[in-house]
Amino acid sequence: MKPPFRLDQHLRRGVQPLSNPPAGYFDQLPTRIMAQVAVPAHRPLLVWLWQAPMYVRTGLASTVLLGTFAASMWLGSAPLGVATPAVTLDAVPQQQLVEYLTSGETHVDMLDLAELPTRQLGITRQYLKSSPTELTEALDAQPAEDGSLL
Amino acid sequence: MEDHEILAKFHEPASRNLAFNQLVRKYQQKVYWHVRKMVVDHDDADDLTQDVFVKVWKNLENFRQDAQLFTWIYRIATNECLSFLQSKRRKFFLPLNDVGAELAAKLEADPAIAGDEIELKLQRAILRLPDKQRLVFNLRYYDEMPYEQMAEVTGTSVGALKASYHHAARKVEEYVTTADNLGFAPDGAN
Repeated sequence: MKPPFRLDQHLRRGVQPLSNPPAGYFDQLPTRIMAQVAVPAHRPLLVWLWQAPMYVRTGLASTVLLGTFAASMWLGSAPLGVATPAVTLDAVPQQQLVEYLTSGETHVDMLDLAELPTRQLGITRQYLKSSPTELTEALDAQPAEDGSLL
Repeated sequence: MEDHEILAKFHEPASRNLAFNQLVRKYQQKVYWHVRKMVVDHDDADDLTQDVFVKVWKNLENFRQDAQLFTWIYRIATNECLSFLQSKRRKFFLPLNDVGAELAAKLEADPAIAGDEIELKLQRAILRLPDKQRLVFNLRYYDEMPYEQMAEVTGTSVGALKASYHHAARKVEEYVTTADNLGFAPDGAN
């Protein structure tokens, strides 16, 4: 029977008996670690996103998704412009307006249109080619019972 | 370079990388051997050492200097080792003894221990200890770390550490004594 083993009587090696790492290991280790952690001054955005923590990426993805949804809702519900009927009508060439109004279905004739220059003199310039004075004279020269200018 | 100089340089963006390089060069061997004693295998120790320094890099800005820098790094290394061994056990559904046996097999294959029968038995006994107890044993028996510093590293009270070391030492002595008298390892490992 051998005497009991006692740690305090055992010749301590000082270090655990493990073989050394490969030669030059501690010369290369700092370079390998620095390659993992060192960040260049101007890191591309995609690399930054890729390396960002999971909670940052999740937050950014949620924000983009919600932003896209909100933008699509806003664009879908808001009017496309601030155009009023008057502005829209101004955009139509006057000659087309006259042609439309004097067509058979609208029941508007040239007499109706001739009264307009008292408020909008410009409208007659394109198709009557006369000054307001000439027009007034021409109208005054018409017999009162004549309903047509033509 | 002193720790406070490294930390001061680390907080300046222009010298951050240089300061961290100095830190790695200063502490790499201590971290590596602390990890290696726990996981035995060089490749595992290599991976874990790199992981430890990556964590140090990520958290060094928040280091408050309440503890010594190396104690703080040691603590990170310790947690990494314990997590690694725990995940290994969980991954392969291994009981405690099987991981100890695996580590012992790696150690026995190591040429540094070849031929030293009593040392081999001692190492087998140490590797059979639970991870935390083995950590305490290594820190005290091999590194001769004061209990107060061990308390900072492990986050455990001095009294609990003394008790843990006492139990670990008793288990190791019993295992080696039994192995010595039987002529083979009590757990069947030879």
